[in-house]
Amino acid sequence: MSTQDNTTDDTTDFGFERVKKEEKAGRVREVFDSVASQYDLMNDLMSGGLHRLWKRFTIELSSVRPGQTVLDIAGGTGDLAAKFSNLVGKDGNVILSDINAAMLSVGRDRLIDKGALNNISVVQADAQFLPFEDNSIDCITIAFGLRNVTDKAKALASMNRVLKPGGRLLVLEFSKPVSPLLSKIYDAYSFSALPAMGKIIANDADSYRYLAESIRKHPDQETLLEMVEDAGFVDCRYHNMTGGIVAVHRGIKG
Amino acid sequence: MEHDPAVIAGVCLVAEKAIMRAVDLSVGTRNQLQRLHPLTVGVNCSSPSVDMYLTIDAEGAVSVASYREEAATVSLAGSWKDFVGVAAADDPASALINGNIQISGDTAPLLRLQTVLADLDIDWEAPLTEALGSVAGHQLANVIRAFTRTSKSTHQRLKRQLSEFILEEGRLSPPQAEQNAFFSAVDDLVLRVDRADSRLKRIKKRLAGLSG
Ligand SMILES: C[S@@+](CC[C@H](N)C(=O)[O-])C[C@H]1O[C@@H](n2cnc3c(N)ncnc32)[C@H](O)[C@@H]1O
Repeated sequence: MSTQDNTTDDTTDFGFERVKKEEKAGRVREVFDSVASQYDLMNDLMSGGLHRLWKRFTIELSSVRPGQTVLDIAGGTGDLAAKFSNLVGKDGNVILSDINAAMLSVGRDRLIDKGALNNISVVQADAQFLPFEDNSIDCITIAFGLRNVTDKAKALASMNRVLKPGGRLLVLEFSKPVSPLLSKIYDAYSFSALPAMGKIIANDADSYRYLAESIRKHPDQETLLEMVEDAGFVDCRYHNMTGGIVAVHRGIKG
Repeated sequence: MEHDPAVIAGVCLVAEKAIMRAVDLSVGTRNQLQRLHPLTVGVNCSSPSVDMYLTIDAEGAVSVASYREEAATVSLAGSWKDFVGVAAADDPASALINGNIQISGDTAPLLRLQTVLADLDIDWEAPLTEALGSVAGHQLANVIRAFTRTSKSTHQRLKRQLSEFILEEGRLSPPQAEQNAFFSAVDDLVLRVDRADSRLKRIKKRLAGLSG
């Protein structure tokens, strides 16, 4: 599966459907509006808690230090932002951003509960049009968000623009399992078990079917690596996790 | 051999939680650790190749990570067997200095850290069940326990053989050697009773928390 970002005509992927480019953002918003309140619980159940380990390794790769500015794009309910808040400390700055107001509001409540809002600001933004100054951010993370973005190349270019030279981008995303057997098991899981769980817990099988389909449509490791390089990043590499079900890509702004 | 970063991240998470739980239960340890800040100990294990970094922050909290770009204060390099040998030794500090493990960097804070950690009673089960759920966590804790127990008894058997050898070949006076063995057995027993006692107290506290 070497899925290019199929956005050459005026349509784009929405899971396995084709929709008009201008419709995708709205359709994605509906999905996340509907899953926001149950999102964290579903994350744990769907991945058997593994998403915590994937995120933990991503944070290690960030090498974030006290005093730095970190932007978490498509940050949803803010679990990465909370971790970064500890790492950058009181002299640092974390921006939790997402296109979806419902996800951000769950995130904000969560961060208030944790008492972690002192160095975190919350900004509603589309990854393709980041409303931040050029060369202003030390590290950008986007976890399980890029596959939802209509024009991924545009989003990666926008991230490159706001990063400081030497700044670091980390993209954590579902990818392509390295073994064919794991791939089959995983497909069976994501296309039948996932929507079924979504139905029982969040009463919303369609949204979870979209999630499964969007995972399949997402570029594989090598394709995404090329896209990150094409956006102007250097020293690009990726690490497979859990047999390639998930990969984290890293790029440095040259 | 390449390892799955998610697995190593899991090992780090469990180790960090287990250590921090023990730290929080032991009076004064936080302050002792705080005094060691800034300290990063790198453990670079070959065959299987795994890197781990133990860092102490300004609040005396210990974190364990598998990836780090900044240089460690002190680094230990060796095979998995070398590290297990040190962990199972009666006197890990001297086993570390005299064994096969290569040490680079500043060793003074490492030895201080070792004495702080050696006093902790680390319980692996709770963080394991937290990370993996009760069934898998309990099983894995049993495996770790069995493993540490076996390696300890192997070690004790070795020691006995060695002392028998010294007794017979070294012509040491038998009563003295026997006395020493007896005293160290008593010391060991006292330590075990202390540990059992503190574990009992902890369980009582947990029970009180559950019922209250
Ligand atoms: C699967 S969630 C991931 C949330 C969080 N990062 C995590 O790992 O748990 C995907 C998020 O991407 C957001 N999103 C979708 N399209 C976006 C876009 N164009 N720009 C920014 N965020 C977007 C959604 O609102 C949603 O919160």
